[in-house]
Amino acid sequence: MLDFVQTSIDGLMVGGLYATVALGITLVFGLVGILNFAHGQSVMLGAYVTFFVVSAGYPFWLGALFAAIAMGLFGALLERAVFRRTLGDPLAGLAVSLGIIMIVENLAAAAFSPDPRFVDPPVSGSVQIGPLILSSQRLLVLFVSVVLIGGFNLFLQRATLGKAIRAMAQSREGAALVGVRVPMISRAIFTIGSALAGAAGALYASLFAITPYMGATPLTKGFILAALGGLGSVPGAIAAGFLLGLAESFGSRYLSASFRDGYGFIILIFALLFLPTGLFGAGKARV
Amino acid sequence: MTGKVDDLGRAAAVVREPVRGGASQKILTLFSLVQFAGLLLLGLLLLAPLLYGSRYVVYLGTLLALQATLAVSLNIVMGYAGQFALAHAAFYGFGAYASAIFIRDYDMTFWSSLPPTACLAAALAAAVGYPSMRFTGGIHFALITFAFGELLRLVAANLHGLTGGPQGMQLSYAPVPVLGIDFGSARGMYYLAAGVLALSMIIAKLIRRSGFGRSLLAIREDEVLAASLGIDVTAHKVAAFSIASVIAAMAGAVYGPFVGFVSPEMMSASDSISVVGMLIVGGIGTTSGPIIGTLVFVGLPELLRVAKLYRLVVLGLIIVVTVLFVPKGLAGLFGRMIPTGPQRGR
Repeated sequence: MLDFVQTSIDGLMVGGLYATVALGITLVFGLVGILNFAHGQSVMLGAYVTFFVVSAGYPFWLGALFAAIAMGLFGALLERAVFRRTLGDPLAGLAVSLGIIMIVENLAAAAFSPDPRFVDPPVSGSVQIGPLILSSQRLLVLFVSVVLIGGFNLFLQRATLGKAIRAMAQSREGAALVGVRVPMISRAIFTIGSALAGAAGALYASLFAITPYMGATPLTKGFILAALGGLGSVPGAIAAGFLLGLAESFGSRYLSASFRDGYGFIILIFALLFLPTGLFGAGKARV
Repeated sequence: MTGKVDDLGRAAAVVREPVRGGASQKILTLFSLVQFAGLLLLGLLLLAPLLYGSRYVVYLGTLLALQATLAVSLNIVMGYAGQFALAHAAFYGFGAYASAIFIRDYDMTFWSSLPPTACLAAALAAAVGYPSMRFTGGIHFALITFAFGELLRLVAANLHGLTGGPQGMQLSYAPVPVLGIDFGSARGMYYLAAGVLALSMIIAKLIRRSGFGRSLLAIREDEVLAASLGIDVTAHKVAAFSIASVIAAMAGAVYGPFVGFVSPEMMSASDSISVVGMLIVGGIGTTSGPIIGTLVFVGLPELLRVAKLYRLVVLGLIIVVTVLFVPKGLAGLFGRMIPTGPQRGR
């Protein structure tokens, strides 16, 4: 029983991280219609920004903030320079991002060296609640991702920009008709998605080794989650994130740890067979 | 927003192609001349390593032929059917592993290991393709194949008993001589690789000209319309994906004894991306595109002679620039300079 609870909490922690990545992907793809495979590289760069800020002696939260801001700018730049030209043709977006992956990954490897780097965890030790022993670091990650996700949802529900995004999700033409500046909102979504990836990169950095090639895993998982949750569905992406975190945690505890990264794929295959429009049957764009 | 009607018309025209049938006149004129020149050039390229025979040139030629086979086969599913398959390197690696394992554990020869390897690759492709290709638009398929490629790599790295784990397998066999060609030598392997390339190009060409191939083009142009014309869209897409994957697996089976080594590295996502890049740069859906793209992707880095990291950066830049400014690829660019009668492919 104790083991079960411990495994669940581990799963939720990883799930929160996944959900943060998946949110960015589902927004950019589901709402703007740009298939950005280079999203994982934003996570990677965010992790490096965090690493350098923390190495310079600043606190971790500042590193995470910097990572989010820097990646937001990076995203805005990419949108302006490249992805805007692929609007309405997701496969062209995919093709372009494959090129961007090659450029960013290898430039990063040249600049930062391919050796793995580690960020000192911002908190250490563990918290004991009754018989449960929880690592404070993991609890912090869970807390930060829940705050990010919650804050983002609040923004979608309350802020004017959030409302405009939701209007666009329902109908691009309808939103344009009532005065929503669709191209501007698209740019904003791209920037926000990229900033979320940067923040997720900071969280990744506090848990795992940082390498220039680390982007593929969050990308694969993020896309699995976006598809699982229904492309463009925010609640779907969040639910799918936690679901995958739990599945991986239980799978590696009770089945086999070496196939940890494979469970998501198996879930996705079955989901596509039986729930083709995503967890909540949203199918397309529901925020 | 270039009217939907245009697309419909184009798709319908593709399907009706055989009925018009008036292209035969033009086939005999300029187009065939250009095509003939291209084939001649390719033939010369393929023969070069035999005449000018340093080990390096033969090695490079073999590698080029195998990579070009990957690009040609990917073109069947990506160029004709318009579906982004992002697991091509994984199938390449799968073929190398499967053939090597059949030879090691089941006492097969290189040649007899090919049919079961092909069957397994086809079954695997169908199992992955069916759930993801029921959707229109190709996004799910791209996502699934991307994840699937990573899964295959993971399996190869973790099944230590079967695959040797992350260190890979050393292979020490050569195909049994056929027609007096000794495949134990570098030159023999080159003949084999060139043969595989020629065969895959013939298969691709035959498919392009068949009713099946025209149905694929119709699907690429408009899936809904293709379905309304009575084409079983999912079955066609799955078949195209399976054929492409089997050819990739066959190229992989040749790659194994060629380098004498297989490892999970061979199945990495970036290698699958490279093959897609070759098609994009060369020209998706054209006959010469995959070959041109391979020459750029394999040849350019050899010419550049800079650190591997920067070569990949340059190739990445080439992909981005091509997609944004030359969407039809280099083949399309050449095609525009030489008027070739009716527009073929996209």
